[in-house]
Amino acid sequence: MSGRRSRAVGLAAAIALAAVPLVVRRDDVLNFLFLVLLSVTLAESWNIVAGYAGQVNLGHAAFFGLGALTTRALWVAGAPVLAAMVAGAAVAVVFALLVGAAAFRLRGAYFAIGTLALGEILRITVGNVRAEISTLPAATIAGYRLAHRYYLALALAAVSVVVVAALGGSRLGLGMRAIREDEEAAEASGVGALRLKLLALSLSTALAGLAGGLFAYYHISYYPAHPFSPTWTFDSLLITFIGGVGTVHGPLLGAVFYVFLKEFLAIRWVDFHLLIFGALFVAIVLLLPGGLVEAAARLRALTRRPGQAC
Amino acid sequence: MTPFLQQLVLGLLLGGLYGLAAAGLSLVFGVLKVLNVAHGQLIMLGGYGAFWLFALRGLDPFASLAVVIPAALVAGVILYWALFGWVVRAPEETRVKNSLLVGFGLALALEAAAVRLFTADERSITTGYAGAVLSVGGLAVPVVRLASLALALLLIGGLHLALARWRWGRAIRATAEDWEAALLTGIDVRRAYLLAFALGTALAGAAGTLVSVGYSISPSIGLEWTLKALVVVVLAGLGSMLGTFVGGLVLGLAEAVSAAAFGGPYREVVGLVVFFVVLVARPRGLFVR
Amino acid sequence: MEAAYGPFLALSGVTLTARPGEIVALLGPNGAGKTTLIRCITGLLRPRAGAIRWEGAPLDGVPAHAIVERGIAVVPEGRRLFGAMTVEENLELGAFAPRARARRTARLEHVYTIFPVLRERRRQLARALSGGQQQMVAIGRALMAGPTLLILDEPSLGLAPRLVESIFDVLREINRSGVSILLVEQNVQAALTLSHRAYLLEAGRVAGEGSAAVLLEDPRVRRAYLGPLAR
Repeated sequence: MSGRRSRAVGLAAAIALAAVPLVVRRDDVLNFLFLVLLSVTLAESWNIVAGYAGQVNLGHAAFFGLGALTTRALWVAGAPVLAAMVAGAAVAVVFALLVGAAAFRLRGAYFAIGTLALGEILRITVGNVRAEISTLPAATIAGYRLAHRYYLALALAAVSVVVVAALGGSRLGLGMRAIREDEEAAEASGVGALRLKLLALSLSTALAGLAGGLFAYYHISYYPAHPFSPTWTFDSLLITFIGGVGTVHGPLLGAVFYVFLKEFLAIRWVDFHLLIFGALFVAIVLLLPGGLVEAAARLRALTRRPGQAC
Repeated sequence: MTPFLQQLVLGLLLGGLYGLAAAGLSLVFGVLKVLNVAHGQLIMLGGYGAFWLFALRGLDPFASLAVVIPAALVAGVILYWALFGWVVRAPEETRVKNSLLVGFGLALALEAAAVRLFTADERSITTGYAGAVLSVGGLAVPVVRLASLALALLLIGGLHLALARWRWGRAIRATAEDWEAALLTGIDVRRAYLLAFALGTALAGAAGTLVSVGYSISPSIGLEWTLKALVVVVLAGLGSMLGTFVGGLVLGLAEAVSAAAFGGPYREVVGLVVFFVVLVARPRGLFVR
Repeated sequence: MEAAYGPFLALSGVTLTARPGEIVALLGPNGAGKTTLIRCITGLLRPRAGAIRWEGAPLDGVPAHAIVERGIAVVPEGRRLFGAMTVEENLELGAFAPRARARRTARLEHVYTIFPVLRERRRQLARALSGGQQQMVAIGRALMAGPTLLILDEPSLGLAPRLVESIFDVLREINRSGVSILLVEQNVQAALTLSHRAYLLEAGRVAGEGSAAVLLEDPRVRRAYLGPLAR
């Protein structure tokens, strides 16, 4: 899709989504769309580090969790929710910068397993320190408005899509992709690899922290360790890869597909979607590294120029 | 003092299983340069194999090794043909990364399939002799776990011998060291890969069986076991099966010590922190000789 | 024959033959395509065009490990021993192919006769050996396959001149026992002294060929390869 056309489509989609709460009065529809939007944010944010800088971060849930933990504590203590969310994002970024310099000494698969271990360390620790379920005070529950959460999710998803799109066209994004292709060569041609990777991680974890804050604002009660669960990372990874890693549209497309199938299958078979997505994911890694976005591009190429295979 | 010693004994017994779990992962990674993060899920499935053989057929879990290990070998061959045999065609750096992703997808699929087939309930095999305890100088040593440790050691020893003496064992070691030179020597490297992968899967099956009898299994234990195996592989390095086994024992002991020092819930955390620190301190050196 | 790495053509229009019982040298500067040619013959690289025929049958599509069984063994550049394995394990791996395996005891004895020092060191790890001894193991490993053609890629690399001489003496002996040898060398003087014929490879093409004795006296060869200081 050309830049101008996709911008127009995106704007139209955002306006349509903004109109949904005014037209549809059903909570289940809003809850479903909320989940899609949250997944878009998480997947796009994961995509910054994986798709652009080429580093598979398996500890993404840690930053989501830190955002949730901080936001929940501040918000319940009386801080305005937006301020609490920003604070949550700040905590996530600070943690990212603290561990990032160490973790980025690792390359490829070692970075992946190292960050997986980091995520698990945080999850287990939080589960031990904050073992009790976190429930909102009765007064807050009474004033709960789903639409507020929905609009916040829409705004956040829009911001993350715009951030990733802007990054794609920028010099920074170019540098990150150079690192993804060949880190040594990028370094040799003057790209400060560590600085750029830290920048990508900061952007990514800021968005993940905000998404965590949104999670804390949305849920009435949950176990504080739940947002630290590796499932959040795995969901982001599946969505991004199935949609198309390193693209702007991929995580969008993937999130819609993923959440829809998950909810559809959950009616009859809990967790069955993971069997399908696990298998689909393996097939995509082996056969179609570009995901759905590449599949769509190939199809278009086929229909546009009949007889000319790619 | 005695409760602490007791914890150490239990840690050592569990460590034997860590060693067995890690040996399979280490073999596959060392030879194929494929990081199979679904190794823990293979352990989980091995455990279910033994569990159902016991529940449905009344087969003794230790005897069921004779069924589970060959079945796991076959499963390994199938997995290699269907998935990892494609991954090894890529050059080494892409290979590790792709294998991680493929293993990850496989792990999710296997776990979901296990939930679907066996439910998410935690299970364990309770034999007639499950409660038997050997008392040594005031310390209680559960017989089943002791037997598991002995069997794990036996399997590792057998593997070590096979790699040292068997024709294809040597071919596997040669391939691990330099696959191109192995090819030029006349070794069918693809077959060495297949054998190593099948052996690694068989080891996972054996480990799962022992986990299901002395401890417990559920569809979600995979990730935890993959992490344990990874920690041991990182600590022990590649190349020696006996070294890997000792690495497992060390992790078991370290967990017991940290549980005593920081409290039970933190026993895992300490291992992971050490793992991360060691990994970062030797980002390349670990897996390279 | 033509060969390429990706889009880069490393070899084009190369034709060379080796007759039974011959020692043929393949000479040329770095990047001339010598190693590429070896990789094609041993099956590590598929030629893009052209054919490699061996004993009357084409070798295209034959996997590398099966080429060893057809009687072509290689001593790769840099020796590429299995350093964490013993000398004897390295040698026995040379006889991995089924046909070679049947005669491995006799061949092992043969290798130990050629290189007596290896018998003394047979229980040592290959990486603990000196460079010269490692080269002996590499040659021994290739001989264990019972080849009719032995290919050596830069066997003199990194060895002291006296060692090179004794290694080349051994090669002459091996050749007398009926094994053809294809020798890739940068040490042109030594290679031409040893071999019967030679090919000059330059930028992926054959720039010249002929009997080793003639080439050794050829002024162009002397200028280009042996340097102005050569005798």
